[in-house]
Amino acid sequence: MKNLFLSLLLVSVLFMTSSLEVQGRKWKGEGTTPNLESIVIGRCYDYIRILNPAVGEKNCSEIWEAFKNAFVNKDPCSILPKDYELFINLSLHTIPPNKSLFWENNQLLVNSFAARGRRYMSVGDTLFGFFADFLNWCGQPNSTGLDYESCPTTEECENNAVESFWRMASSTYAQHSSGEIHVLLNGSAVGGAYPEPGFFADYEIPNLQKDKISQIVIWVVDDIKGPDIDSCGTHTVERLENRLKALGYDITCTDNYKSVMFLLCLDYPDDSKCTLSSSAAAAQRGPMSSERGGSWNKLTFLSFVGFLFRFALVY
Amino acid sequence: DKDCLKIWESLKDAFIYKDPCNITSEDYQPLMELASHPIPCNKSLFWSKTSDLAHRYTKSNQNFLTLEDTLLGYMADRVSWCGDPSAPGINYESCPKRSECESNPSSVFWKTASKMFAEAACGVVQVILNGSIEAGAFRSSSIFGSVEIFNLNPAKVSAVHVWLMHDIGGPRSESCSGHSIKRMKSILEERNIMITCEDNYRPVQLLQCVRNPDHIDCRLCTNTT
Repeated sequence: MKNLFLSLLLVSVLFMTSSLEVQGRKWKGEGTTPNLESIVIGRCYDYIRILNPAVGEKNCSEIWEAFKNAFVNKDPCSILPKDYELFINLSLHTIPPNKSLFWENNQLLVNSFAARGRRYMSVGDTLFGFFADFLNWCGQPNSTGLDYESCPTTEECENNAVESFWRMASSTYAQHSSGEIHVLLNGSAVGGAYPEPGFFADYEIPNLQKDKISQIVIWVVDDIKGPDIDSCGTHTVERLENRLKALGYDITCTDNYKSVMFLLCLDYPDDSKCTLSSSAAAAQRGPMSSERGGSWNKLTFLSFVGFLFRFALVY
Repeated sequence: DKDCLKIWESLKDAFIYKDPCNITSEDYQPLMELASHPIPCNKSLFWSKTSDLAHRYTKSNQNFLTLEDTLLGYMADRVSWCGDPSAPGINYESCPKRSECESNPSSVFWKTASKMFAEAACGVVQVILNGSIEAGAFRSSSIFGSVEIFNLNPAKVSAVHVWLMHDIGGPRSESCSGHSIKRMKSILEERNIMITCEDNYRPVQLLQCVRNPDHIDCRLCTNTT
């Protein structure tokens, strides 16, 4: 009887502690990234000095202040994209024509494929995108401090600091894109390759400048082991193609664009989709190893015989 | 947990106000100690004359780490520094090249860091070498050939896997049966470390094909539309 009472007491104490913790955390999302200020200022200098010095001189401290002022000392559910206007003005730079790369549901792949702006410049390869990529932040009312404990998710409120930032960044990125535009979609994504609602659908397409764009190139790539849910001319991709054509754009669409396939193949080199016709022959030769002493020794012997032969010829 | 400000101070102290032609490994010891961290076994990836390829590979495949993917290497990559005895102690205008003096802050840093990276390696280690250069895939003049290979610890490292890559469409100056690989083999076997070698290791070759998708060496067996 006493044991039962003690166990019940223990369980209720644990329950109370955990619910107290939940009450302590205001929001459901992760808190602000620790050392946020140092990280973003460092990234700013990394970008202007090393990654893309072509953007010229920027005042990284000023950019940080403008960024911070967009969301500190406010209700974290009342942040709007235009609150980042000054930040964008200070960090904006030209996006080279033909280098824009839009995407949905394949961020890590796009990062690899864009090669840090050398091949393509995705939004994460611009100064304003690089500044905040993969980071989290929010403020609180009546305090200039950042909330490191928790931040609202988009489900809790749409007008949060991070969501509004990316809406502003995406719109800006689309507005300043020109020439041949590329968009990389995931043909294995649940719900379709072209999600609606989505950043590309709602913030990027509406902000493309038609008179500056020569063509829109769509790539739909399936995961190597993934299902072929969507392709060019079907379902959501068809909807995208129709929308862009109706807007007057010249478009092309390719399934499983080879360059991107090779990148996906890194993790599945033996999959049938990834077999190179040249390496099918090479596989027969096989790797050389010191365990197979035979091939090394034969070679040494032959070299020695060759040497002796040449020596004999000379003398 | 690392104290980044302290790490910066120890880097600065290694070279500030010093003659930039007289830097030693000892100058970097405090930094090495503060910034070093253990490397999981079987994950060390060395490289020589294949920087772009090796780093693209580790970026796409988190199973391997080059020196430049460790904290120390990541901090210092693509950055240069040197001091000067006169104020302000840091020279933002110019720094000595290796040809001007060998014991310059940058060269000594990378030599010291490479030695540490090699010493920390355990299990099976990988190295991506370039079979398309004339001077040979394994060269004694490189950091790999002069520092790293000699600082692998035979008590910890069981084998070295060589991935010998040819540029797509590039010359096949050397392959696994070549002279410099044989030399590398004898160095390692003398140190009791096994070596294997593979020409054009497929995953890395796939990465090369990203840049040359239409080259004949990059034809896929299945015809994907």
